[in-house]
Amino acid sequence: MQKTIIHLVVMLFALTLLAAGCAKKPVAEEPSMMEETPQVEIQQQEPVAVVEQQVDDAAAAREAAEAAARRAMGGLVRIHFDFDQYVLTATAKQTLANNAQLLKAAPAVKVQVEGHCDERGSDEYNLALGEKRALATKNYLVSLGVAADRMSVISYGEELPLDAVQSEAAWAKNRRAEFKARR
Amino acid sequence: MKMIKYTWLLFSLWLLLSGSALAVKLEISAPGEQTIPLAIPPLQPMSLVRPEVAAEFQQVLESDLDLSGLFELVNPESFLDDAQRLGLRSSEVDFAQWRLLGAEALIKGGYQIEGEKLTLELRLYDAITRRLLSGRRYIGGLKDVRRIAHTFADQVLHSLTGEKGPFASKIAYISKRTGNKELYLMDVDGHQPLRLTAHQSIVLNPDFSPARKELIFTSYDKGNPDLYRKEIYTGRESRLSMKQGLNIGGRYSPDGREVALTLSKDQNSEIYLIGTDGTIHRRLTNHYGIDVDPSWSPDGHKIAFVSDRRGNPHVFILDVHSLEVVRLTFEGKYNATPAWSPKGDRIAFSRLEGNQFDIYTIRPDGTDERRLTFGAGSKEHPRWSPDGRFLVYSLEQAGKKTIHLMRADGTGSRKISPPGGNDSHPAWSGHW
Repeated sequence: MQKTIIHLVVMLFALTLLAAGCAKKPVAEEPSMMEETPQVEIQQQEPVAVVEQQVDDAAAAREAAEAAARRAMGGLVRIHFDFDQYVLTATAKQTLANNAQLLKAAPAVKVQVEGHCDERGSDEYNLALGEKRALATKNYLVSLGVAADRMSVISYGEELPLDAVQSEAAWAKNRRAEFKARR
Repeated sequence: MKMIKYTWLLFSLWLLLSGSALAVKLEISAPGEQTIPLAIPPLQPMSLVRPEVAAEFQQVLESDLDLSGLFELVNPESFLDDAQRLGLRSSEVDFAQWRLLGAEALIKGGYQIEGEKLTLELRLYDAITRRLLSGRRYIGGLKDVRRIAHTFADQVLHSLTGEKGPFASKIAYISKRTGNKELYLMDVDGHQPLRLTAHQSIVLNPDFSPARKELIFTSYDKGNPDLYRKEIYTGRESRLSMKQGLNIGGRYSPDGREVALTLSKDQNSEIYLIGTDGTIHRRLTNHYGIDVDPSWSPDGHKIAFVSDRRGNPHVFILDVHSLEVVRLTFEGKYNATPAWSPKGDRIAFSRLEGNQFDIYTIRPDGTDERRLTFGAGSKEHPRWSPDGRFLVYSLEQAGKKTIHLMRADGTGSRKISPPGGNDSHPAWSGHW
């Protein structure tokens, strides 16, 4: 029994070293070793962030990741579409390039891409159109290097307008794809 | 010679009278073109006097028959004393009085109240031949007055045209009066609205089962637009299709055995057939464009649907067996929500022009397109009554959504949805 635990600790230690990559200091003395294993695994997914951190500074790394996630979710900007179109406009592509940077900086963040339409089309057609918009958005982000499995899509058609006023300006606002954090 | 002349006169008189009686068999698809002068004197009490019962019956029956467009009601102010007499048998009715007022048809009736029990005895007469066309006795509760009136209105249409009316059927619709879109059920005249769902999510686009008292609809209740089934009277509800992506626009096949719907499980909206257990039977469309909004032909061999495969949204017709697709609409730039009539002879749809939808009908071969609605507001989601005489649709005007009925030729439109709601997406049941 005792041996097994020692084995496990040794293996975890080895893993930590591997994960930390160019860690300079040994971290075996850390008393909360076992508890921090989950964070070590997260670091495996984001070596870039880890390289710049002190290995024993796990709390700071976690905070940095959370800050990146907050920055990403706060910074992801919705994009807009032309009437009855799901082709990305040049402006939308610029916005998505910025969104892609934020998402890549926060690899733990998962998002749902929502497609929306203005109220003018038929509801059923708009549900399909909203989905095309969400998919076009997701696929462009994938082409910019964001992992596909971090993004799911859903269409709300014309059901959730940002602005319920009937005007060209409101309709333009409502034809959009936006990003929601996914648990 | 004189005798022959007399016989001839009698014969021509008979021809004239029977001709009038036959004229009562109207062309159903063209209501409003020829109307029958009809007198409906108030129901007479057979025991207890409860004028409000008679008044409610009168209002419902008159409203239904007026909507049918087949009648011209004889002005009650001109009624003579037979209108106040209970005599319901043909030998007791003073037909001469009614002929004097120009009535060709007459509805007389009486009511009897014992506690909560209500008995109505109703008779429809041909005032010219003095023949009883339909006699019915209805026994129910006091709360059933409206239902009895609708049922008798259906019977009146059946007697005069050979085809039952749709007034005792139901209309399902989506209302946002709780703040969320939920599914509701109401009478054809908008009375007795009843909320059926409490999803507190987004509920969309209902359709009635042709076989059971059951509805299908789409809901975001579980975070994805899934297709649900709900038994109306037991309230039992289950998810019928919950593929990743859209599960929308479900429409029962005319035999009730399958459902056509749009799925986007492969990242593009296509029309599929599923069984009533939710398993996929067949994929019907295969195109990278948007394919939505299926509507069955009454024989179950074809499906009208909306596709942008030629650029803009247009209505196409799909052969369910060969999967061959033919384009139906060529006019306009945005045609949607097709609804195939139960007679099979026309397809209703809505066309977006400017920022406003209007309702049109067209023959399934693409000829004889007609615009049915005019005036302000956007009219969408046309659905036929089970007899094909009427269309129900949603109207959006100044941000308010209401449900309206009209005759199949676009005349006689009236709002039916209860006041104070945000109501849309009606679906008409079969005969209830």
